[in-house]
Amino acid sequence: MMKRVVIFCLLLAAATPFLLGCIAPPPEKGMVIRFGYQPSTHQVAFMLAMEKGWWQSDLARLGVVCVTEAEFPSGPPEMQAMLAGDIDVAYVGATPPITAIDKGLKAKIVAGVQINGSHLVVKPELAESFTAEKLRGAKIATFPPGSIQNTILRKWLLENGLDPEKDVDIVAMGPGDAVTAMGAGAVDAAFLPHPYPAIIELEGSGVMVVPSGNMWPNHACCCLLVSEKLLEEHPEIVKQIIKTHINATLYCREHPDEAAEVYARKCGWDVSQVKYSLDTWDGMWVYDPYIGLNCTLEYARVLYELGYTEKLLTREDLFNTTLYDEAVAELGL
Amino acid sequence: MNLTALKGRILEVISLCVAVFLWQMVSDYVVRNYFILPSPYLVARSLLELWTTLPVDIAISMLHFGIGLSLGTVVGVSVGAVTGWFRVADRIADPIIEIIRPIPPLAWVPFAIVWFHLTHRAAGFIVFIGAVFPILINTYAGFRGVPRDLVDAALVLGCKKEKLMLRVAFPYALPSIATGVRIGMGVGWMCVVAAEMFGVSRSGLGYRLFQIFYPHHKMAELMLYMLILGLISLLLDRVFRHFVEERLLAWKKGLVAEA
Repeated sequence: MMKRVVIFCLLLAAATPFLLGCIAPPPEKGMVIRFGYQPSTHQVAFMLAMEKGWWQSDLARLGVVCVTEAEFPSGPPEMQAMLAGDIDVAYVGATPPITAIDKGLKAKIVAGVQINGSHLVVKPELAESFTAEKLRGAKIATFPPGSIQNTILRKWLLENGLDPEKDVDIVAMGPGDAVTAMGAGAVDAAFLPHPYPAIIELEGSGVMVVPSGNMWPNHACCCLLVSEKLLEEHPEIVKQIIKTHINATLYCREHPDEAAEVYARKCGWDVSQVKYSLDTWDGMWVYDPYIGLNCTLEYARVLYELGYTEKLLTREDLFNTTLYDEAVAELGL
Repeated sequence: MNLTALKGRILEVISLCVAVFLWQMVSDYVVRNYFILPSPYLVARSLLELWTTLPVDIAISMLHFGIGLSLGTVVGVSVGAVTGWFRVADRIADPIIEIIRPIPPLAWVPFAIVWFHLTHRAAGFIVFIGAVFPILINTYAGFRGVPRDLVDAALVLGCKKEKLMLRVAFPYALPSIATGVRIGMGVGWMCVVAAEMFGVSRSGLGYRLFQIFYPHHKMAELMLYMLILGLISLLLDRVFRHFVEERLLAWKKGLVAEA
């Protein structure tokens, strides 16, 4: 019996490399650019360019043989993957790169992706003649401390005379849990990026009352982050990535319905929900990194003061706008 | 403590010291990137920085664990005993249990929010889901395995039929129940992290791990909390074994084979 088990184990061990060989993708010869993104309407420019094959066709001229994509549920695991060297380019929120760069990630923000685009949504009984004062004693769901949403919400509460620590109960959770919590009446309000506030409103469990652009005008939300290795070794490829991103962003702005369809198809949403979200949000797809630059530096200051970064990161630590400037000049924008 | 036991302890301490030394060396000279592998020194330093929040986090996690495990023990032992002893109850409950049992505790999070809202009970419910099935299955196995001879002997000696379950089957099943609770404790403790990921509290080992340290890539603190999770699990297991195996099941000594 023992002999049979040993023989079986040896055969299994011998077969493993072949089995793995069958399921592993074949190695690519030539340059491969690996993108990371999140399934958010904020980053639809990436999805559109991917669906239309623009990344592949634009980068092929520069020797890129393959463009891959990896979807991440949120920014931290995306940055973790970049730190581990698994992705070269990331569409990501503005705060995850700050803490990652502080921890040793060699990467720079090279372009903007989107500004504003979050909404405070409250349960229907609080919505009529809404003022911030109505949130006194309320339980508000949002992303964890240090995130863009948490930072903006706390700033806005303070500006409206409410102490985020004493006057309200801010509970940290992911967007799916927050939508469930609103539906169950487990929280009184939620401050989330689109399309989640629109989903809550469509489900009838909440009403969108304050867009994030009213709380902090033109605040940075998502950005385009590129590894320093790619920046140093292949600046021409990075410049082309920026150009393709600009073209995709302009196309999304001109064809929002098509952008909504691309997003709905790729992420498995109902297209009417996505269109409703895009009709009601105050977000804007951008490519200019200068729009969100000061705001990102403000996020860096908040993260430093909260003790989430060891040092106060500067513009030089976070941004590289040289290639963007060149790309814009070459495109004649 | 006799000489052999002392030697065993010394070996354990040496093993731990060598592991920590190797970890420090690999971190400093092989990996040389504290993001990929934080050194024991950095982990120890983070312990000093977190000494005020750590006790609160442990207390809150123990509360969630306590709610889940106590409920899991009550339900698991009750249902396991009834289904193990009565064939009809087994037929009725088995398909339901077997459908629910493989569902991962994390999948219950939306229902935990809907049913219990953002309370400690919701976190306790996730721990309960993790703990209840090992307890239930082991209790069931314990009751199913009661030898016919034992039942016959009890009846011959005058035990009433309605008291067989409590007087004969339950003591016989106790070692299985203890094993189930021990496994349930381990699984339940693993579920504590998942149970604190969805806004039930602003403290807790899982909350701090996933909502604070992970998003901000605080790897030394992350490693510290992972080690604390492991240490608490070890401590819980040792305490359980001391009280249950050494005291409650002391009668087993000499009856079972020991290598």
